[in-house]
Amino acid sequence: MSAPRDVVGLMDTLIGWILLAGVSISVVLLSLALVWQWVVTGSPALTFALPGTSLVSFLLSLGAVTGAASAPQALADLGLAVLMLTPYVRVLASVVFFAFVEHDWKYVAFTSFVGAVLTYSLFLR
Amino acid sequence: MPSVAVLIAVSVVAGFIGAMSGMGGGIVIIPVLTLLGVDIKQAIAASIISVIATSSGAASAYVRDRITNLRVGMFLEMFTIVGAIVGATITIVSGRAILFVVFGLVLLASWGALFLERGTERGTQERPRDRFTRSLDLRGTFYDAGERETIRYEGQRSWLGGPFMFVAGLTAGLLGIGAGALKVVIFELIMRLPSKVSTTTSNLIIGVTALAGTSVYLAAGLIDPALAAPVVLGILPGALIGTRVLVRLTNRSVRLFFMVVLVVLGLEMIWRGLAGVG
Repeated sequence: MSAPRDVVGLMDTLIGWILLAGVSISVVLLSLALVWQWVVTGSPALTFALPGTSLVSFLLSLGAVTGAASAPQALADLGLAVLMLTPYVRVLASVVFFAFVEHDWKYVAFTSFVGAVLTYSLFLR
Repeated sequence: MPSVAVLIAVSVVAGFIGAMSGMGGGIVIIPVLTLLGVDIKQAIAASIISVIATSSGAASAYVRDRITNLRVGMFLEMFTIVGAIVGATITIVSGRAILFVVFGLVLLASWGALFLERGTERGTQERPRDRFTRSLDLRGTFYDAGERETIRYEGQRSWLGGPFMFVAGLTAGLLGIGAGALKVVIFELIMRLPSKVSTTTSNLIIGVTALAGTSVYLAAGLIDPALAAPVVLGILPGALIGTRVLVRLTNRSVRLFFMVVLVVLGLEMIWRGLAGVG
């Protein structure tokens, strides 16, 4: 069963805005990180490293980064995390679309498979 | 590590050339970063995260224009993400010299694939011959502003497109690139989709594929924010400018110039790999 064309158009628009918002927020956060680092240290070069970690652990560790001197690290980490989560959110939105708008269970299975593999990859460490 | 200004500058140029040549910024920035002394695995990891930015940025516009086919995209993403995880894992365990050679070979192959593009603007409206593809309902319509008409099409041979997309995903994860040229060739030559649908749906798939690969590189500790942040901030505007310029460009010789640049980079990477110059 196919949804009315205006509903499909609404979904296209929503997915478009999810992608645009994710990339825009990420760019702003990464830019702020470099500028803040420049103000604090006199050079925009970020000096911290990321240990090998899963994105989920990485997100959970963001709360531990505190203090003005650590702000560039928190901003850069958050910017990269938002960028990585952008296509993931798009896939989750697609599952909702095929399940609740299109009622197309074959594509619900396809998108759920994609979502499951991506979720597994986000836990890789 | 090169300075932030140098990283942003070369990333802008890479994004520009990548968009102009139609092959994406990753395929340019990785050789350039290695020439600047960056480790090839870290360059690949920085590139693949920038691929998420460029593909998501472009896809956001294409999806809203309603040219992208979500069904085709979701079906093929099942193959590309698995390929990307396998490809990124291979990179992590591979020697650096072999990565240089493979990167150079893929660059030359992708460049050659661009000349193989024989896709039609309109695709085909034929019903697929195999039952599996018919069951996937890969039909679609879009309004072609250039032709001023609504184009109807239907995807073909999905049973063959899927496995080929696994290879495209593997290439993307292995080398930290979008592998868009390869994906477009599969869309057009195998699945017989219209050029515009091929390009826009490929863009949508590239972001999800890059995320799968990025997760592997993040787990391996190869994502360096000091490198990734300037590369993302440079490649994105470079690609946007390149896309705008490309729309207005009619001089084929200019595009040919960028293609020559890519061939030189490919040969240079192969030489460095064979000579053991990391």
